[in-house]
This record gives sequence, structure tokens and C-alpha cells, in this order.
Amino acid sequence: MSILQHEVAQADYVRSDGHGKVTGSGQYTADLSFTGQAVAKFRYADHSHARVLRVDVSKARALPGVYAVITHDDVPEVKYGGMVQDRYLFAKDIVRFEGEIIAAVAAMNDEIAKLAVSLIEVDYEPLPAISDFVASMDPSSALIHEDWETDSRADELGSNRNTLGYSTIVKGDADAAMAKADHIVTGRYTTDPVQGVPIEPRAVIAQWQGNKVTIWSSTQVPYAARAGVATTLQIPQSDVRIVVPLLGGGFGAKCDFHFEGHIAALARAAKRPVKLVFTRHEEFFAIGHRREGMLIELETGVMNDGTLVARRARLVLDKGAYCGEGGFFAQMAAMHACGPYVIDTVNVHSFLNYSNNQPSSSIRAPTAPQVCWALEQHMDAIAKTIGMDPVALRMKTLIEEGAEGPTRQVFDYIGMKDSLTKAVEMIGYGQTLPDDEAIGIACGWWPCFAVESGAYFKLNHDGTGTIVTGAQENGTGSVMAMPKFVAEELGMDPKDISILYQDTDAAPWDMGSSGSQTTFNSVRAVLAAAAEVREQLLDAAAEALEAAREDLELVGGAVSVKGTPSKAVTIAELAAAGTFHGKGSGPLPESPAVQAEGCVGRLGMESFLAPQVFTHAVRVKVDRDTGVVRIVQVAAAHDSGAVLNPIGANGQVYGGVVMGIGQALSEGTILDKDGKQRNPGLLDYKLVTCSDAPPIDIAWVGRFTPDAGPRGSKGIGEPPSVPTAGAIANAIANVIGSPVCSLPMTPERVWETIQGAAL
Amino acid sequence: MTATFVAPTTLADVLAAMAAGARPVAGGTDLVVGARQGKKPLPQSLVAIHQLDELRAITLTTTGVRMGALVSHEQIIADATIRATYPALADASAIVGSHATRAHGTLGGNVMTASPAMDTGSPLLCFGATAILQSASGTRSVPMDELWTGPGRTVAEPHELLVAIDLPALAPGTSSCYVRLEYRRQMEIAIVGAGAQVTIVDGVITDARVAMTAVSATIRRIAAAERALVGTSGDRAAADAAGAAVSEACAPISDVRGSADYRRAMVGVIARRAIEAAVMRANGGTVPIPASPALHGAS
Repeated sequence: MSILQHEVAQADYVRSDGHGKVTGSGQYTADLSFTGQAVAKFRYADHSHARVLRVDVSKARALPGVYAVITHDDVPEVKYGGMVQDRYLFAKDIVRFEGEIIAAVAAMNDEIAKLAVSLIEVDYEPLPAISDFVASMDPSSALIHEDWETDSRADELGSNRNTLGYSTIVKGDADAAMAKADHIVTGRYTTDPVQGVPIEPRAVIAQWQGNKVTIWSSTQVPYAARAGVATTLQIPQSDVRIVVPLLGGGFGAKCDFHFEGHIAALARAAKRPVKLVFTRHEEFFAIGHRREGMLIELETGVMNDGTLVARRARLVLDKGAYCGEGGFFAQMAAMHACGPYVIDTVNVHSFLNYSNNQPSSSIRAPTAPQVCWALEQHMDAIAKTIGMDPVALRMKTLIEEGAEGPTRQVFDYIGMKDSLTKAVEMIGYGQTLPDDEAIGIACGWWPCFAVESGAYFKLNHDGTGTIVTGAQENGTGSVMAMPKFVAEELGMDPKDISILYQDTDAAPWDMGSSGSQTTFNSVRAVLAAAAEVREQLLDAAAEALEAAREDLELVGGAVSVKGTPSKAVTIAELAAAGTFHGKGSGPLPESPAVQAEGCVGRLGMESFLAPQVFTHAVRVKVDRDTGVVRIVQVAAAHDSGAVLNPIGANGQVYGGVVMGIGQALSEGTILDKDGKQRNPGLLDYKLVTCSDAPPIDIAWVGRFTPDAGPRGSKGIGEPPSVPTAGAIANAIANVIGSPVCSLPMTPERVWETIQGAAL
Repeated sequence: MTATFVAPTTLADVLAAMAAGARPVAGGTDLVVGARQGKKPLPQSLVAIHQLDELRAITLTTTGVRMGALVSHEQIIADATIRATYPALADASAIVGSHATRAHGTLGGNVMTASPAMDTGSPLLCFGATAILQSASGTRSVPMDELWTGPGRTVAEPHELLVAIDLPALAPGTSSCYVRLEYRRQMEIAIVGAGAQVTIVDGVITDARVAMTAVSATIRRIAAAERALVGTSGDRAAADAAGAAVSEACAPISDVRGSADYRRAMVGVIARRAIEAAVMRANGGTVPIPASPALHGAS
């Protein structure tokens, strides 16, 4: 049975956006058109670092068919950004990466817009481009942001010159413990930047009616987009409505406020609706949102029995030109440099540095795949040093119930070791393989994020219902599954429940499709709203049936007396005669206590709420002559707590594994010395294809988790992308005898490692 | 100038349009993709040739096989004669681009785009194929090794249309193979590719052709490698020697797809694999079509 047949056989409902997506009748943002709409094009910086001396748009404005050309002079002088407000919509006096926007044009059609963009005259004074994000933290390096000391920022960041964020994790005296270790193992790893590459390129359409603007946008975070528009254009949030038509993927790349402000300002100037649709080329170089490159240096003191007595680490992360929403990366990376292991003492320093490269921000489990890839290779190196099997070393050192983490967080039940046991069993660890094949394993963790959310649920007069949620459907099915959960609460048929979503005027604030949080937080709110309606139905039915409330149950679209199904009133009958609507948020789970006194740069990630823990095991086949690696089989075992929607959860693992294979073997943005992308397109930025996807076996080892998501669940969206590259790396090293210390592990890098080992 | 597009149903009308300055488009998988990537704008005046059904046939002739210019890669992969007699061409067609590229893309388009990375070129060179160019004023034959003059350039005049490619009949004991270095299994472009054809008589190679893809401005044969094979049995030692000759003869460049050092090492490996597979086929053995995925890890 194929994967698809298996999943379809298991499915107990069909997602409501499925038909439109499969048949092509569904509408994505770029599919929408408005009467009189103009086409938007951006003029980008011609340099990755330069002072802007003069911008002259007069020739562009004079071109027939051009409705508006706007620059920094045409919008309020407001900086925006997440933990640091360091960016203007349009370049003011400095451009800091190649995708910086100088001006925006609205024109009658594509050709005229392109011509107008080329007629904009810009004079620059080129500045030395700082692409080397490790060198940029040198005190002698020129500043990327000359006014960094006056930019508004979160105090906890520990910013210093080109270092935007500095974070440490300190537990005990690592230096003293290291000195007493039986062995000290070191490793140095580097990773290239990686792109999110959703198949739908981003699109934004803005239309003004009086003082109010409606913006259709392919965003993962409509409420963040709304806030960005309100901030940058200095208008109230109540005058900004963000609507997201079907979203064609995001993988984090469509998180954050990006271009909605530019297009809203342009539409106001053009006095007509304006539509922006990115080309694939822009989708690479202009989006200001990719996975960060890193330098990862790890050092571990280990005893002969495998006890990890000390971990020192230095991490340097490439923030690129602007903060965006990725200000927390230094601390998140530091947690992953510890990993889900018991280590007596820890001293990790993590630096998040500005450079003149494309800004990095959250891509699916930001910082984790790279650091996990390095740490898990480092764990195998430790095992080799002490002559211990890598699985045995992990079984000895992984966290379990009662164990203490790097910030002295003590864990409740956690399926970490169960995931290792299961993954190893599924892959057939220890079997005899051909000499060009081997198995590698990697373990990892990722937190859940407790965030406010709110939802409404209402019954219609015919007994159908409608969920109103701020949650964003990113393609994962997490919003599409909501009717199933509500139906279970109310004894209804999921097909009778519709969803009003992706419209900021309709529902309360939601964090959007990010942080594996939609089921965790948004479903909690939806269930709370449904619970209110349940109470209202019980009250109405008790009166209608002249029965005691506690004797009633909601089954099969009716409220009936338990044990006497004939004594019932249908939900449709009740709904026709009354008003049934609920709202809810649900109580937030509480973050676990930590003792992180020695740590600086505390941004909340020192405590991992309801950690999602997992092991992937991968079998590879290496072509020693060419360095080409093929993935033969993957086994993925995850603790995501109670699994509410197996088809959706499995889908996340299949996709995450394939994404992880790309990160491992072929996906990497190649920069020139000035930080400009050399492979900004799908021909030379190599995603893996369906044909490269191996058989993937999945096991869920979690159980009901208290103080977590609804019904004892945790998240699942991000973790499957975390450990695959590390498992592949260990498998490759097991074939060729040496680790490949640069990510992606391209055929050429694998081949070079083989050549180096043969010297 | 106004952009024009015509789609005639007769060859004469197509040639007349070309004489008037129109450029031909068949599957559009290079032309349209290239224009969208900004490589080269679409020609102002286009003549679509997809309605010329007479260019769609694979025909046995007295001298070999005639392939119409509109033969698609899918057609080649499915054709029993090509698979049996000219398997290198099937190897190559089966790994061009994606399923969509192979369904829409044509042999003629692949050849006339003249990319040094095109997959069907090395097999055609090895076969000693001939391009048939036709214009309103006449028809001429151009041997494949004289057709390409550089990346994107051929000896064809602007008004000449490639109408067919003739494959010569092959001597008994002849077979071939095309192998490409592949980072992934679909949507791949050649970083290094090699075509090989051998004729084996009584266990000895009497004729050998080795052509390399994506390592110079045009696809070309490597005489030294061919010499290294003739007179041998085509065993591992001979294939290694030929591979070494290829590495010696190629001066590849460094770019985002690979360094010169890596490419130089790979040309020897890929050429050797193509040669060994061609020898196996010529000796009656089986190598699956396409050969590249099957040869992953072949040492």
C-alpha cells in the first residue's frame, strides 16, 4: 500500500480546502484581480552595502502608464522590526543588502512597470560589503547599523555593535569539569544559508476605501502584517484589514511583516488597487527571510563510561542586514547546542551578528536543524572516542523523567528515549549492510510556545456551525482539522461546520502559522468557544426536554437523554429557535521553572514548555567515486504528546523529512564576497524532488501530556525538519569514515572529504 | 515592432515565416523558460511548428533511422528501435528535465538550443548523426560534429529549420550508453555527462566513440579516450585508461554547480561508467534505461 493509500484509508474527514487546491478552482492571492488594478514593481539596491546619495524618480513618474512612484520620502519616517526596530520600508540613506528596496512603482502593466523601475536614477557611494558574519563581530569591523545604539530594542538582547543578540547558557563550572574529564572532544562545523522556498511566490494586493485599507496577502502571520502596516503608515490597526486567500506554503519564509506596507502606500499614492506578485528570482534574493548560516564550535568533556561532564560551545549566527522577527536566534541556538541531554556543566556562548547578507528569520524550527546536525555528529565523535556505540551513548545521556536540563529545568514524562528505541528498531540498526551503505541516527528537541489566542463558534439556524478563528492555514491542515474537533465536542458532523479564517477583521488576534502553535493554541481557543455553545445547548435542551442537564448528552446532531435516545431534540431544532454562540481563549499552559541565573540574553527560550522530542534514523547509500548520497530509508519517531489528527501529523513528518534531506544534501544559498546570491533560482538552488523521497516509517511515542496543548497534545509542525540532516551526516560518516563538516553535504563536499581521508 | 505569432500547418508556411524573420518554437521548454528567467527575451516574431505532424515520426530508412525534429523525449524513451539500437539516446531522453519537460520538449529543440549541458548531444555525436536543415531555398545535411559552434550557437542560418536528425545504421556488435552525474533524480541539469558507443567484434573493440557533456563550450568527442579503447576488450583497465584520457583532455570551469577540480575528477568517473555500460550492452548484457540511476555507486 502506498503512503497515500494508507493515509486515505485512515482519514476520517476530508479537509474543506482540499477540493479547490486539487482541482485548481481554489484562489491564491495572485489569482485575485480588481477593477482598475495596477501592477507593482520594486527598484532594488544595486549594491549590498552603499550610501544612497540621490534618488531621482522624475523620469519614471513621467512615463505614460505609470500611476505612482514612491520612495522613503513618501512614507512616514518610522523604523520597524521585531526585537530591534532597525529598518525602514524604503532605504533612507544606506542600503544594507542586495534586496533592499529603493522605490516602488505602480503602473498599467508589467512591461511599463519594469521600464519605469529602470528609469529611476540612483547615485551611491559604495561601502565595503561585510558578508563574513564572523568577522563582522570584530571590534575593528565597520558598523552595519551606524545608529545601533539609538535603535529601539529589547534590553535582554545584549547587543554590541554588529552583534545584535548575545546569549549564554551557563550551568556549573564547565572549565573545572572539563579539566577532570577522561576525554575532551572538539568539533567545528559551518552551515550555508538555506531558503524556505514555498511553491507559491508571495503576492500582495492593497485596496483603499476611504481611510481603510484591505490587503490580500500570502502571509503566514496576518496579524503581524496588520501591525506592521499600522506602524509603518501610522494608521490605527482598525483601519487595516488583512485577508489571506489560500496560502501556497510558507515554511516560515512568509512569517513576519514584509511587503504589505509598501503596497498599501503605493495603492494610496496610485489611487487604485495595486498588486504585487513576486518572480521566483525575487522570491530568493528579495524576501529578507531565510535560514541563517552558522559557525558552530563544540567541545565536550566525557568520562570513559559516557557521562557528559562538560559542554563548551561558541556559536556565531548570520543575522544578515536586519532583525526582522529573528532576534531570539542566539538563545534558541544555544539551547540546541546543549540538546536533549544530561550534561553536568555547560558554558555556551552564542552570537547573532549583522552582516550585509540577506536577513535571516524563522524558517521551520529556526536554528535547530543546523545546530542539531553539528551536535549529533559531535555525539557520534564522542562515542567513537570512548569506543561506545552511538545509540548506547545516547541512551545513557538523553533526558528522561526527572532529569535536569542545561538550565536546570526538570522534566516530567518525556518520550525521548522511547523515540530512540523505536527509531532504531524501525531502521533495523545493527543489520549487515553493503559496504557503501550505513545507518545514522540523530536526536533532538523543540519547545512548544504558549501564546494567547481567541476564537468564536456560532450555530446557524439550520443547525450548521461556523468557527471564526484568527489561525492561519499554512497547508498543514491544522486549521482544516478544527471542524473535526468541534464536531467531537458537540456531537455534530464535521461536514456541517464551516470556518471563517484568515481575515483580521473577523477574529481575535492570533500568532499565525508559526512556532508549531496552531493546534497548540488556536485549537485550545476554538474548543473553549465550542464549550460555551455546548453549555448553551444543554441549557436549551434541558428546558425543551424537561430533563436535568446532567442527564443529557450530545450525540448524532442531537441532545438526548442518556440511555433514552428517543427523548431528544436536534441541534437544528434548538438552533432555529435561539442564538447560540461562544467565545473562548482557554487557559495558557505555564512555562516550566528554570534556574538560569548564570545565563544572559534570556528571552524565554531557557525554558522548554512541553518539549517535542524525537529521533530520526536514516539509511544512506554513498557513491564513493562521486560523493552523491542517496537516502534509502528513514525512520522517524516522535513524542508530540497525544496525536489528535494522525493524517495531519504524519503529513508533517513526511514533509519535514524530505525538507531535511534537502537541507542535508543539496540546499544552500551560495554567496559571493559581497553577500550577493549566486544561485537565486530553482535550477541551481536544488530542492529535492518527489523522486528523491525515500520510504519513511513513522512512530508516535508520545502520550497525554498535562500542561500542554488541547487534549494532551504538543506541537508537530517544526520538529520533523530538525534531526534528518544530522542522521544523514552520521550515516555518511559511517560509510566514508570521516565526518562532513559543512552543510549542505553536497556531492562535492562528500567527495572532498573522501579525498581528504585518503591522503 | 509588433510581436507576432503564427502556427502554420504546413512546412512550407513555416519556412516562409522563417524567411520573413520569424524564429521557431516547438515545445518551448528552453525558449519560454529562458525568457522568464531573463536569459534571453522571446523573439519578437515567433512561428510555432507544433502542428507539423510530419516532423513527429521516428522512421526506419534504408540508411538508418530518421527522427523528426518534433519527436519528444517521451517518444524516444518509448520507442523500441531506439531502445534496442541507440540506447544512449533513450538513456539521455529519459533524464532530461522533469516529466513535463520530457512530454513537451523535442529532440530538435534540445539540439538547436545548443546548450553544452544538453543531454541528447553526446549520444548523437557518438552515433555520427546528421542534422537536416531546411529553408525556403533548399535542404542541406550537417554532420552533428559540425553543427554546434558555441553555447547557444549553431551553423544553421536564421531562416533554416532543423527538420530531422538521421541516425546511421550501426555495425553489428555496436551499443551505447549515456551517463550523467546527478545530484538529484529529477529536474537535473548536466554538471558532467558522458556518451559512449563501442563496436565489439570477437571480443575486441573495433570502433569507439566517447563524447563529453557540460565540460566545454560545446559537446565534443575525446579522440584520446577513443584510441585508448580500440583494440582492447573494453575491460575495467581499458575503461579506466579511457577515463583518464578524458580527464586529461578536459579543462572544466568552476561555477556554482561545481569546482573545476571536482568536475575534472568526475569526467573520468562518468566517462568510465558510460564506457563500461556500453561495453556490457554491446556484449549482450543488460543495463537498465536510463543508465544513470542504475549506475549510482558503480565503482
